[in-house]
Amino acid sequence: MDGVRVGKRMIGAQSPVTIGWENIPEVEGGPVKRFIFTWFQPFFWFAFIAFWYYAPNSLATASTGVTIGIGFRLLLIGLEWINPRFKSWQITWKEFVTDLFYVGLGYTILRIVDSYIGSDVMVKAVQSHFHWESFRWFVGLPLLVQAFLIAFIFDFGQYWMHRGMHNWYPLWLPHSVHHYITQLNVNKGAVGNPVELFLIGLGVGGFFDFVPRAFMLAGAIGGVGAYQHINVRFNSPRWWRFLFNTTEHHSLHHSQDFEATRSNYSNSFIFIDRIFGTCIDGEAELLGMEGGRRMSIPEQMTYPFTEGWKTLKEKFGRVSTVAVPAE
Amino acid sequence: MTIRHAWEWTSVHGTAIAFSSPAAGTSLSEGYRVNLRFIDWIWHVRGSLALAPGQTGDEAFDRIAPVFAQAGTGHERAGDTLVFHKKDPAAQDKMAVFNSGTLWVEQGAAGPVLRYHLISRFLLFCFLAPLLFLAFAQLTLTVAKFQKPEAASASAKSDKAKKAGSKADAKKPDVQLNPIDKFLGAPAPDNKKKDGEKGGKRDKKPSATPAYVFASFFAILYIIGRVLEDRLVRRLFKRRLEDQGLSAPSSAGSLPVSLRTT
Repeated sequence: MDGVRVGKRMIGAQSPVTIGWENIPEVEGGPVKRFIFTWFQPFFWFAFIAFWYYAPNSLATASTGVTIGIGFRLLLIGLEWINPRFKSWQITWKEFVTDLFYVGLGYTILRIVDSYIGSDVMVKAVQSHFHWESFRWFVGLPLLVQAFLIAFIFDFGQYWMHRGMHNWYPLWLPHSVHHYITQLNVNKGAVGNPVELFLIGLGVGGFFDFVPRAFMLAGAIGGVGAYQHINVRFNSPRWWRFLFNTTEHHSLHHSQDFEATRSNYSNSFIFIDRIFGTCIDGEAELLGMEGGRRMSIPEQMTYPFTEGWKTLKEKFGRVSTVAVPAE
Repeated sequence: MTIRHAWEWTSVHGTAIAFSSPAAGTSLSEGYRVNLRFIDWIWHVRGSLALAPGQTGDEAFDRIAPVFAQAGTGHERAGDTLVFHKKDPAAQDKMAVFNSGTLWVEQGAAGPVLRYHLISRFLLFCFLAPLLFLAFAQLTLTVAKFQKPEAASASAKSDKAKKAGSKADAKKPDVQLNPIDKFLGAPAPDNKKKDGEKGGKRDKKPSATPAYVFASFFAILYIIGRVLEDRLVRRLFKRRLEDQGLSAPSSAGSLPVSLRTT
């Protein structure tokens, strides 16, 4: 495989990838289908922002957010059935149960852990250290500015945490499990070793006091990250894919090609990758590690520890001395 | 056939798996007997399909064998029996849910019959998953109880501080919307709400509800999976035996041959 030169890097020398928007297939079908799958993402993005901006206080609550989140996720799962990007990524009962298990961990045990040592605890500690009052000016900013800053600061932190995971072995170990997934769908973002799920959740949405509505708006603005694992083919408008992470970008990040995986680290805002030179526009179908070996749940749970132990033994273990006969 | 596992013996001969305590000095037949068949339907799938008139066991296996040409799958044929095992099967492997199994052909009343006995640890996992989430629910309740006295003592301590702080709170200016937001018609924030009622991730308290919800999800998913996977594998074998236009190994997402591990 020759690969494609992107800057100084050869992408796709180990596994097939498609580089460049002009080479990515478009939605096939009639004008209605093409219209829906072109404007679906922008429509819902603006609709959710408008909702959280204008909803009365009684409705603009966290529980409404949870209900909308679950409902929208179900809609996306439906879209995956109607218009899958790749048949080889189509959901099966086993994949659905596996994914839901990790989603469940996120809503239960990881939430308990987070309540003790998560980012919220850190935020509160920092806020009390720097004195709450000193940031009250943030509340006076326009709502959309507050919301964008919360979403951007969160994503900026995620970008560096994720990039760190791909560049520092102790962080790579827990993250590597997520790279063993062999297909993408809306729930795949939740799949990974719990240590990594905790680490990647250590996003700080800002140390500021904010209007509660701004927090919901930040969720709507940064919520485009939900599309990065989706198995749906969209004709994303040019401006959309310039600003936001898409499933194309993220599939390339999950490719079996090593160089391709070292790109597109952001969660929602791909322009952060563009700023730091790690963005590659393209997509891949063959995903995973070790030639696409699917990892079982027990191995996903233990892999970082067993691999870490192996590495430690190799590095610090007793070296067996082999007598070399003198010639 | 070579019997390797107790369940194979059970499936072929229909007898119970017996466990005896050597210390008790009893014979096998008198020992403590556990018939796993009462519960092994949870993760064992059994079934049979009548072969077409004149179809031999070899022909049947020739037609079925391609479904085992998948990544991480090995199979052996010995006479009228086929044994397979899978390790880390691909997501789109149509039998990905099964770890191992035996297929054999025997003479039925109306002619030769293909019988199969498949084992799925994943079905067992899904069956047990509700218990895990119920355990998480209990853990959450325990943590909440543990946090309550902590919060109570903290609130007692802060009673004095509250009195002192109430003056400071009174000084705290109400949150006002930016003029741009006022102009655009965004609702003004409710300043009467206390800090804890603000909503958002920062103010969430541990609740056992999600754990109960997921426990019920997995209970429902188990029932769906047990019925669905049984039917799907039966349909897969039936189609292969009838060879309804399936000349190639049937898996939409099977990897190219060069990428297979076996």
